[in-house]
Amino acid sequence: MTTKASQDPLALSNDFVSGETNFIKVDNFKFFYGKKEALHGINLEIPSRKVTAFIGPSGCGKSTLLRNFNRMNELIPGVRHEGDITIHGMSIYDPSVEIIALRRRIGMVFQKSNPFPMSIYENIVYPLRIAGQNNRSILDETVERCLRSAALWDEAKDRLNDSALGLSGGQMQRLCIARAVASRPEILLMDEPCSALDPIATAKVEELIIELKRDFTIVIVTHNMQQASRVSELTAFFYLGNLIEFDDTRKIFNNPSMKQTEEYITGRFG
Amino acid sequence: MYKEPAKPHTLSNFTTALDHLRSSVLRMSSLAQLNLKNSIKGLLERDDDWCNNCIAEDEEIDLLEMQIDHEGIEVMSRFHPFASDLREVISSIKIGANIERIADQAVNIARRARKLNEQPELPELHLLDNPIRLSLGMFDDAVSAFAERNAALAIEIKSRDKELDLLNKKLTDILINKMQDDSANLPSYLNLIFISRCLERIGDHACNIAEDIVFAVRAEDIRHLGKQ
Repeated sequence: MTTKASQDPLALSNDFVSGETNFIKVDNFKFFYGKKEALHGINLEIPSRKVTAFIGPSGCGKSTLLRNFNRMNELIPGVRHEGDITIHGMSIYDPSVEIIALRRRIGMVFQKSNPFPMSIYENIVYPLRIAGQNNRSILDETVERCLRSAALWDEAKDRLNDSALGLSGGQMQRLCIARAVASRPEILLMDEPCSALDPIATAKVEELIIELKRDFTIVIVTHNMQQASRVSELTAFFYLGNLIEFDDTRKIFNNPSMKQTEEYITGRFG
Repeated sequence: MYKEPAKPHTLSNFTTALDHLRSSVLRMSSLAQLNLKNSIKGLLERDDDWCNNCIAEDEEIDLLEMQIDHEGIEVMSRFHPFASDLREVISSIKIGANIERIADQAVNIARRARKLNEQPELPELHLLDNPIRLSLGMFDDAVSAFAERNAALAIEIKSRDKELDLLNKKLTDILINKMQDDSANLPSYLNLIFISRCLERIGDHACNIAEDIVFAVRAEDIRHLGKQ
């Protein structure tokens, strides 16, 4: 972690251990797009170093909540929130929190892969370069570490200086995951990361998600129920801006407590 | 626990496929019930025609078991069911296997009955009246519980199994004693013992079906509870 990050009030203490049950805590959180209330008082505790899936029909608020974790929604005019979100006990809305530092510590992967129009190498080191890191050996080490983390090293090691735009769709998405982990974030947010990928590329990304949870707390939004049941340990079902049910993934997909959850996962919705 | 989704699936083909699987299980159940009753008629009325009918119809039940397996696999591969739907598919396949075994026991009873019919009637034949009533009742109720998704009835079926086991044991003891006193009819007594054993096994399969119904409806595994 950089010196700047270690001064960050959100930075983890040295005695941080995995298994924190309320690593991300959402406390009576409401979110408004103008006058429209998109999230109605969400309460949720996401444990560290596990994969938590957000599922629900379009417009249910799952992506809205995800994008609040790194305060990305604030880029949209006219939005406001009530309630609080804390990470490791510290409010992300605390005045002392720098948004850039917050986002450096929360990596994000989007539905559509968004590699920068530059080489594979430069894509990965981009977060380090903008943080002022230009030491070649550190950059090289980061590229190898991140590409290995993203299971892309063997495919990309001989073409690091080639344009990232020449990669396949699945490779581009894994490159984006590699870039997201380059700044060593604690949290990885994934907003439908496989929706544009073929089944083989999807399987590789899912395998990667399961590998990455050893080091990161992962929150994934997905419309693919099979994917949620395969990769996540916890699942939250949202509907119309409410959190309907949050439980062990096996419980959600085998025997959910709530009627709406059962109707959604069995395809009896709407 | 949310027991039974009231709404149809958004994918109507999914609903159709699940309904079809359920119909196949019910059709197989009806055939097995009929075959079992025919074998008992053949035994009690000493009429080989009923026995032969039961033996001949068993092939249809075997085919239905395979059809249920195929339908279940197709639902899983095409629609990836979850929760109550997944439990229903898994339970249907397992129930199909148990019905097939009940039908096999009906065939065993029919074959033994034909052998008994070749010999003079023994008064001990009517020692089977209670085990017949109990085992057929358990199977009939298991089929009703499946048709009605009635977990309470399914649980009640299990409680009757001990009585059937006890009847089988008592009947076997009586017939073994008879064999010592009346060795001329030894093969017939042996056939009665085998039939009693078949009825006891039918009760076990009815219990297995009941357990699968409880799993499908309530997501509870009630197998081997006494052993835990």
